[in-house]
Amino acid sequence: MSSSMVSVTIDGRTVEVEAGSNLVDASFKAGVQIPHYCYHPRLSVVGQCRMCLVKIEGVPKLQTGCTTQITKDGMVVRIDDDEVRAAQEGIMEFLLINHPLDCPICDQAGECALQDYSFKHGQAFSRFSYEDKRTYPGKERIPLGPNVVLNMNRCIQCTLCVRFTEEITQTGELGFFQRGSRAEIGVFPGKELDNPLSTCVVDICPVGALTSTQFRFAERVWYLDKTPSLCTGCDAGCNITLEHRQGKIRRYKPRTNVEVNDYWMCDFGRTTFLSYEEDRLTTPQRRDAQGQMRATTWDQALSSVYHFLIDGAAMGTVGIVARGAATTEEAYLLRLLADSLETPHRGVLREPGPVRSIPNLNGGLTGREITPNRRGALLAGLGPAGLGPEDSEASADSATSPGEAEKILGGAVNGAHSVLLIFDGGRAGSDNALSRPAALESLRQAQTVVVLGWASTELTQVADIVLPIATHAETEGTLVNSQHRLQKFERAFLPPSGVRTGVEALSDLVRRFRSDFAAQTVSEVFDLMAGETPSLEGIRLAGLPAGGIQLPVPPE
Amino acid sequence: MAFEAVLLRRSSGATALEVPVGLKEYRADGGYEGLEKALSVGPEEVIEEVKASGLRGRGGAGFPAAVKWSFIPKSDNKPKYLVCNADESEPGTFKDRLLIETDPHQLIEGCAICCYAVGAHTCYIYIRGEYVRQAEILETAIRQAYDAGVLGDSVLKSGFKLDMRVHRGAGAYICGEETGMLESLEGRRGQPRVKPPFPAIVGAFGAPTVINNVETLCNVPHIMTRGADWFSEIGTDERNTGPKLYCISGHVERPGVYEFPIGVTLNGLLEAAGGVLGGRPLKAFIPGGASAPILSAEQSHVPMDFDSLAKAGSMLGSAAVVVMDDTTCLVRAVYRLAKFFAHESCGQCTPCREGTNWSQMVLGRIESGNGRPEDPELLLRMTGNMSGTALCALSDACVGPVRSLVQNFRPEIEEHITSGRCPLPYRSVFGKTAGTGH
Repeated sequence: MSSSMVSVTIDGRTVEVEAGSNLVDASFKAGVQIPHYCYHPRLSVVGQCRMCLVKIEGVPKLQTGCTTQITKDGMVVRIDDDEVRAAQEGIMEFLLINHPLDCPICDQAGECALQDYSFKHGQAFSRFSYEDKRTYPGKERIPLGPNVVLNMNRCIQCTLCVRFTEEITQTGELGFFQRGSRAEIGVFPGKELDNPLSTCVVDICPVGALTSTQFRFAERVWYLDKTPSLCTGCDAGCNITLEHRQGKIRRYKPRTNVEVNDYWMCDFGRTTFLSYEEDRLTTPQRRDAQGQMRATTWDQALSSVYHFLIDGAAMGTVGIVARGAATTEEAYLLRLLADSLETPHRGVLREPGPVRSIPNLNGGLTGREITPNRRGALLAGLGPAGLGPEDSEASADSATSPGEAEKILGGAVNGAHSVLLIFDGGRAGSDNALSRPAALESLRQAQTVVVLGWASTELTQVADIVLPIATHAETEGTLVNSQHRLQKFERAFLPPSGVRTGVEALSDLVRRFRSDFAAQTVSEVFDLMAGETPSLEGIRLAGLPAGGIQLPVPPE
Repeated sequence: MAFEAVLLRRSSGATALEVPVGLKEYRADGGYEGLEKALSVGPEEVIEEVKASGLRGRGGAGFPAAVKWSFIPKSDNKPKYLVCNADESEPGTFKDRLLIETDPHQLIEGCAICCYAVGAHTCYIYIRGEYVRQAEILETAIRQAYDAGVLGDSVLKSGFKLDMRVHRGAGAYICGEETGMLESLEGRRGQPRVKPPFPAIVGAFGAPTVINNVETLCNVPHIMTRGADWFSEIGTDERNTGPKLYCISGHVERPGVYEFPIGVTLNGLLEAAGGVLGGRPLKAFIPGGASAPILSAEQSHVPMDFDSLAKAGSMLGSAAVVVMDDTTCLVRAVYRLAKFFAHESCGQCTPCREGTNWSQMVLGRIESGNGRPEDPELLLRMTGNMSGTALCALSDACVGPVRSLVQNFRPEIEEHITSGRCPLPYRSVFGKTAGTGH
């Protein structure tokens, strides 16, 4: 029944929508905007803000678009209409009379629905000249929880945040208190807004009432550049907009992808870029004869790596290990390297982490690992040699048996002549498989350890050659999330001078083994990989949709 | 021919301390015969009879009661409910209180007939929290009815099962709005729901629900015993039928509840109530509770029924008639009303939350001598934006008196504004002049 389509005409544009859709959603489809504050497609419809009033042919009174369901063919709706405009002006006036209008010091300025709509639907003058504005003394900056601060004076009582905690997180910390013009939102006594998705209330708040402790007063939003990207906090693969200025990430905002994170992302994910600030590596380093790390050039460093690998290969003691933080393209280049060296010792680490859940319409998804792309690395063939990508993934995807990467770290290729190339690239932290004492001890036993990473860590302490590579904000690539969805992220800004992207560094290295290897850019590497990977058949990076592509799920 | 009281026939003019009519007396006076008749003719016949009587809702909106009942889906496996609205929160209204405290079985019988007609096996009487004694009277009467087999597993041995519960509100005007009342009944914050769906389809606990006012339901037993024809003979015309309780208060000699055929004029009502207090000239009156536009003395000949008052630019509402003599400052009166609405707005929707409060502030400013020449226009524009744009009727309820003040009594506002003070001395309803200060 719900799949039947009905037609609706909005301002002369006729579109087909699913029966039962509401007018606000239908207007998006028709390319007409019905202004609204309290409506959110994932929250219950309350019809409170009254901003979406529209005229429906045959209905005497104006109706709210959000509460009007289109059930029959042929509804004719007008928004471009004097009566509707007058209503919008009236509602805007009501919303603004008690609003502080402190835009110059308000953190929401620049991304404020009140600003935008008053520009488009408001009046240029005020008739509220002789009365005092309503204020909520003492409620200008109330911490609702660790991540969210409330300024009640700016609130327009849309209750999106209240409904979010009731319906999406089902934690119910927030309530609507008092009534009339004293109505206010707040946390229930003894409660704190501290659920794992709490900062989403800041995203959905149309005004500056709710701000995030992390971002408030950090930057005026109009200075921010925005790049479509992916969160790398776990393997859920939440789509984000990476907002940055002058080579520094300022915040992550969820980017809507109904198949993955819907409209949401977790609080933990929003903090993951902070580690990019720490102990950044900016130049290749090589351990000299006295055991001291010395800066060197990329060419010399790669040349040394090449020779170490050739020697190791001759002894049959080369191992290549990547964390699941490598992009699919980086993992593919590592695999080509392993193929050139004909070593069976190759693998990607499985690093389990806390379960992170994101709700969506399909029942939600979870991330259970601390790295975002172990599946992509396996897809690229960085699994046990001799197996196709799908097979290797299937064999390596069992959580119980240690994979090849764990065996290498456990000492499988230890020995006087062992050469280990470690691709780090992920976040630092104590849960990191490469920071465990046992792993570090094992690496100390190796003759030569080459590390590609962006931060100075315990791992780089034991390395003989360190190659500084870009963070995921500084490069582009693809990741495969826990649902086996292939998604791409774009480059936000250039890496610091002296730093190369993983693909630049690795393709240079591969070229030293295979002079005919032409691929240099991420898209060239991807397309090459796709050409020889059955499940990526026909996919080109440039043609990958913004929401990604669902890959076949290999059998567990 | 003198009109013989119908709804108040068992209550002798009524004082609050009167002992309510008990079950025995009620049955001796022909009580529960209407229910017996209903049980014998079947639900469809009951709805037809009430439809033929022309009974319209006495709570304020005046919607035909039987039509509301007929909206309840017949073939639905969900339970159905009747919620009797005894919240009676419209300022100036005190008729339901009298009906409950003098003759509770009349209401119980009306509820039972309605439940039988729509197939509801549970009835809630939502009574305002302040009506403590009235709730106790109702509970006692319901207990009597259970004990006598009028309520319970088999109503009057018919096999029809009916449970009745009294639910006390917590004190909010908005819970008299039917969906706000349902939210409150279900234990949530009392604020109106989005309509549609209407309560007849999705009401209490998600099930089809009829919501009727106390007075509406009290009419039903009489329609069943005396017939639709008898009922429709009473009143102004075929669209305004039956007896009606009028609550008269304000500057009047004998304030109280008076029963008349629907459509009595203010003059007729004043005659019964002893005229304007102290014999002073009438200045204005509110015909139907706080949300009804105020009419001037010239309109005191208008029949006070649904359609005549609508034609005169006001409404019957809950028939709470407030009389104001020539010493009344209408700006102050409307300011008090707007203040009431601002206080009682639930706050969820924008025009009501902001508009009621703003109009209250502007009126307060005018009354205190700080009015501006543009204020009358501002009030008109503001109330224009509040009208028809809100989620429920409370916003429009505030618009009624405010707009009528500007439209019908504009010179009085202008006098406030130009003289920079309230031109009328303050006088309490008890007749003492208490100076000009407020």
